[in-house]
Amino acid sequence: MQNLLKILLRYSNFLVFIALEVAAFLLIYYNNAYPRSSIFSTANDAVAWQEEQITELRSYFSLKSQNEQLALENADLRNQIVSMDSVQIDGSFRYSSAKVVQMTTDQLHNYLTINRGSHDGIQRGQGVRNEEGAVGIVRTVGPNYSVVLPLINTHTNLSCRFLKNDYVGTLQWDGKDCRFAQLADVAAHMVVNPGDTIVTSGLSPVFPEGIPVGIVENSVLKTGDAYHTIRVRLYTNFKRLKYVELVQNEHLQELEELQNGLD
Amino acid sequence: MDWTKQFIRYIIVMLLQVLLFDQLQLWGACHPYIYVLCLLMLPITIPHIPSMLIGAAAGVVMDIFCNSLGVHTAACILLMFIRPYLLGGIVNDKDRLNEQISLRTLGMETFVRYVAILVVVHHLTVFLLAAWQWQHIAFVMLETAVSSLITILVVIGYNAMKYK
Repeated sequence: MQNLLKILLRYSNFLVFIALEVAAFLLIYYNNAYPRSSIFSTANDAVAWQEEQITELRSYFSLKSQNEQLALENADLRNQIVSMDSVQIDGSFRYSSAKVVQMTTDQLHNYLTINRGSHDGIQRGQGVRNEEGAVGIVRTVGPNYSVVLPLINTHTNLSCRFLKNDYVGTLQWDGKDCRFAQLADVAAHMVVNPGDTIVTSGLSPVFPEGIPVGIVENSVLKTGDAYHTIRVRLYTNFKRLKYVELVQNEHLQELEELQNGLD
Repeated sequence: MDWTKQFIRYIIVMLLQVLLFDQLQLWGACHPYIYVLCLLMLPITIPHIPSMLIGAAAGVVMDIFCNSLGVHTAACILLMFIRPYLLGGIVNDKDRLNEQISLRTLGMETFVRYVAILVVVHHLTVFLLAAWQWQHIAFVMLETAVSSLITILVVIGYNAMKYK
């Protein structure tokens, strides 16, 4: 017993080191698998508030381009009013707006923080879009702020389909360029042309069907490949993201209960 | 050792990290984590286990800003664990280890070696753990090279200014 204690004491530094590292790796694992803790993320009130001030300060330097963007958006909205009869409204989805407080675009795991939280009725798993197209999925919800997993994060998988023939694939990101994503699981027999439009599939409760995602930039099919390698130019300009819309599926809870009941 | 001074330096460095260095989105692979400066400059007289705990605390704070809980924590604990062994290995005159770590006490060559090795170990660990998949290894290497270089220059520049 005494010998054991001696050994423990002699190697105590190393044992503490191992214990701390194991704790840190558990944190990484649980944060990747179940990111529930809003305190230890930018959804934390104090951190998000501070990031908001920085973004505010920086936004003064881009007032001109923001004005131009708003003017374009106004024009687009007027056009939509003119052709109002053609707008299809899916009754089970509702929209609310939020401001982007913080965002990165140049890492493998980019996140954005928005100024809406559980006090505003935000739930984990809600879809996020802007006027250009799909943006991402709500990942962590704090009381007043939330962290969103954008399309440009290597963890993201989004079910999408071709507008022309409803063929479904999975949108992923390779971590290289925030203007392009990759569409996986498209079998070799499919004919893919540059310029084909990709929209959300509506197979997951996150997004309604048909929200624009991007257009095919190019696709490569080597001999012997079972799947296309498709590069998609995203509609959303993540570098200029200022405001987003949250997609609320009224039936989200019911759908989840149904699916959980199946297991 | 003056805890207040260490703490004030940490606050200033963290402000610089968040306000300035986290905003550098220049070449896509440039993410210098200059906050390790505070860990590198901690006096070596702090016992080993408390110094690892300080590292863990600094890592958790940085992780909150990066949405990467655990990644910086693991890297900082590793940094603080190998620090005394590294110093023991590269400092010839052991009497110098009783003093504060700085450019003046260690000498240019030893100090640069000390900073470079620990910064590269820390940055490589952070980027590897953040990537979590081997397929991004080329990007991780580029990220480590670019970011470490900037952090090393900042730490040495800080010391050169302070101990002119």
